[in-house]
Amino acid sequence: VKIFLIGAGQVGTTIVQALHDEHDVTVIDLDPTRLEPLSYRYDVSTLEGNGASRRVLAEAGIAAADLLIACTSRDEANLVSAMIAKAIAPRTTTIVRTTNPEYLEVWREGQLDVDFIVSSEIETAHAISRTIGVPAARQTDVFAEGQVQLVEFDVDEGSSGTIVGVPLREARLPKESKVAGIIRGDSMTLPRGDAVLRPGDRIVVIGSPAAAQAWSELIAPGSGKVRDVVIFGAGRAGTAIARQLLDQGIGVRLIEASPERARAVADELTEARVFNSNGIEPDFLERERIGEAQVAIFAMRDDMKNHYAATLAKIHGVRFTIAIVHDPPAIEVFERAGIDVTINPRQVTAEEIVRFAHDPRTQQVAMLEGDRYEVLDITTRPGSEYVGKSFAEMPIRGGLIGAIVRDGRAIFPRGDDVLRAGDRAIIFTESKRVVEVEQAL
Amino acid sequence: VSELARVRQVSRSRFLSVDLLGATNLVATIVMYLSAAMLLPIAIALGYGESPWPFVLSGAIAFGTGGLVAYLTRGEHRIGAREGFLVVGLTWLAAAGLGALPYLLTGEPQLSRPLDAYFESMSGFTTTGASVLTDIEGVSRSLAMWRQFTQWLGGMGIIVLALAVLPRLRVGGRQLLESELPGPEIENLKTRIRDTARRLWLLYIAFTAAEFLILSLFGLTGVDERMTVFDAAAHAFTTMPTGGFSTQARSVEIFSAATQWTIVLFMIIAGANFALLYRAFVRGQPRVAARDEELRLYLGLLGLGAAVLAVELLTENVLAGEAAVRHAVFQTVSTVTTTGYASADFNVWPVLTTMAIVGLMFLGGSAGSTGGGVKIVRHLLLGKILRRELDQTVHPEVVAPVRLNGAVVDERTLRAVAAFILLYIGIFVVGVALLSLDAARTGVELAPLDAIAAAATTIGNIGPGLGFAGPMGSFEPFSDVSTVILIGLMWFGRLELIPILVLFSRHYWRST
Repeated sequence: VKIFLIGAGQVGTTIVQALHDEHDVTVIDLDPTRLEPLSYRYDVSTLEGNGASRRVLAEAGIAAADLLIACTSRDEANLVSAMIAKAIAPRTTTIVRTTNPEYLEVWREGQLDVDFIVSSEIETAHAISRTIGVPAARQTDVFAEGQVQLVEFDVDEGSSGTIVGVPLREARLPKESKVAGIIRGDSMTLPRGDAVLRPGDRIVVIGSPAAAQAWSELIAPGSGKVRDVVIFGAGRAGTAIARQLLDQGIGVRLIEASPERARAVADELTEARVFNSNGIEPDFLERERIGEAQVAIFAMRDDMKNHYAATLAKIHGVRFTIAIVHDPPAIEVFERAGIDVTINPRQVTAEEIVRFAHDPRTQQVAMLEGDRYEVLDITTRPGSEYVGKSFAEMPIRGGLIGAIVRDGRAIFPRGDDVLRAGDRAIIFTESKRVVEVEQAL
Repeated sequence: VSELARVRQVSRSRFLSVDLLGATNLVATIVMYLSAAMLLPIAIALGYGESPWPFVLSGAIAFGTGGLVAYLTRGEHRIGAREGFLVVGLTWLAAAGLGALPYLLTGEPQLSRPLDAYFESMSGFTTTGASVLTDIEGVSRSLAMWRQFTQWLGGMGIIVLALAVLPRLRVGGRQLLESELPGPEIENLKTRIRDTARRLWLLYIAFTAAEFLILSLFGLTGVDERMTVFDAAAHAFTTMPTGGFSTQARSVEIFSAATQWTIVLFMIIAGANFALLYRAFVRGQPRVAARDEELRLYLGLLGLGAAVLAVELLTENVLAGEAAVRHAVFQTVSTVTTTGYASADFNVWPVLTTMAIVGLMFLGGSAGSTGGGVKIVRHLLLGKILRRELDQTVHPEVVAPVRLNGAVVDERTLRAVAAFILLYIGIFVVGVALLSLDAARTGVELAPLDAIAAAATTIGNIGPGLGFAGPMGSFEPFSDVSTVILIGLMWFGRLELIPILVLFSRHYWRST
């Protein structure tokens, strides 16, 4: 596959690392000092120039491209690159990196002619919610920009009697959720209404973030949900994290040093408590009982500030700390200081791009139990035999639709809902039956 | 003419940075147009065989004076935001003057003194409903209807009316409208000023017509034997503006229960935000209205007030059964919406009930309604401000925007709300003190609670007070000085204090 990569920064470098072996990669960047080390280390061609220029792209041979990845730190330049590439070579797949969640929203509504958009902020937020979102979960993942959550639970003796030992259709399951699979021993069943959960089962649930929380409480009563998360820094990353956590019903406190920014965030996020403070004054930390927070997340722009604030928060008694680290070498510094989790937004972004670049047609979005099960995100084509059918009468053939995304909004279908062409279906299936499911839709 | 040119020069000089002549010209023009309102009492007079001449003459005087002043002050003017305050303040004073003319010219003995006539007219236009009449049923049909009609004109606002019909006010009308519309300015009027004014008036007319039809029907079908078509119109004219003038000496006490319940319904409508009513009834979005925080609090407070009154009336054995509930609801709604009708003489109710009613006088209608007083939304916002204050005492760094219906209310508006309530209480207290002092000076018997009620009822544009000024009584015993104070309170209250107060500040008149 012929891949063009615009931007040789941290994200670009990580992508080159992952893709250079199997593919023919061309890297374009304005800065020759960034291109040079890449061309020495990997077998890639490099071109110095503006990736948002039609002349440069044409010269580089974009007409023959299969895939264009625009991952500079400038959103608008990335979008222009993708648009020019589409104009010159209409069959090119384009991936754009953005730091602005608004572009993501516009794209989701179909108003940007780009095949895939990755927002560092949103990916970071997803990574964090995967870490702390659902206490009782073995594994969690989010789809459809955070609107749909997949959670894997182990049912045990302590799980609530309202769901264990009774047929699913009679059990009082949380709204907006579906048991997509029951793994019992070596076999997996796609459950119907008469299926019964038993202790020892491992189950896969697809549902809204709120439903995932409700499930957690049913599976392990008293595990409680995360009620008190403190986020230091209300920039784009901090705000995106806060929004994601609030959507899951988690209580969030935000601490922001700039008064204007604090005010703007307080206006925007109705449910969050916002404080105007730099977060490193002991008096403030003491008065607001920051030490009692279950999780503290450090999302300020400056690694050193994050490091200091995180260490201080630890001293004040915060049990679990997550830091956003921008400079890769700093990761070790954070780990030495006892920070529990570090997340590098560029790394997360690059991974997401690579995941999509590997196979742009099916959006295989998650794997469970090693690689035995997969969750697919497939857009239904008009001719599919399932289109126009209600979910009640849809035959289960190797997969189960847990949620659909229609016009950018997630719907958790009930029996009388009807699948339409163009809906994005989130499907749980066994890996060996992926092809079958794909063809059916 | 050269003299006038000189005055014009002075008014434009750097010592006076308000276009005085321009403001005068606009006020005169509005008065000139307003003289057309005399057509209604003229028609009534002709219909009932009374003399139309007092009204013809009043109209002619208003038209002539307005026209002459407008002619003398003609020319290039700039009516901007600054002149708006003056125009609004003067227009209301002038309108009350126009309204007083027929009272004087008909030779009605109860209103023969100009100050009394002016009081009655100001009480009418400001939709207060306080009266100096001692024998309401003694006045002629045409004059009684004029009295009701002034409330109807004043209810939606003279400026709003002018905006709806006068083409020259198209530019710069926003400031005028904002000075006159009740309630703090939270929702930006996004549509054109003229359209807004027209819509408000159409809705107002529609509700008035509906009430008139229902009440007439009650009269004609015998549901209410005392209700005549004349009374139906008279009360329709004073319910929607939350006015409270009645053609009956004992207000609406004599009408049947069905009539009283109907009036309750229309008072509740009149005390609600007209923009919300427009969305609910015309655009068919009742859900938006149902979710409105102010409307919910308004209805909640009405329910609470009525419940308290009903319990007091029942436990003290003043009234029983349906009557207790009806009068409790009626009096609560009438007071909170600042209408001022009475379905019973609450003056003779136990002191606990009358105190509760005086307390209700401080609530007021909704923003954007025809009701007066503090307004529910200001109480709502003040509550939120206070709650935030408590929050920030414990958590000094917390950033907590105040929201109304989910939208953030900017800090300037919040300050204005707090300032308004302070001013309202301040002016009310000064009013009580002056009334008490003047009563002592002139030997008028005015109990402390009566003085409080008199000041509260006039600044809130409600109507009846307590004691001799109670719902079945009259404001006639007040001395001339007190009458002037009460007129001032009505004027201040109707225009929501601040647009009038700025006229008394140095910074309004000068640039430096």
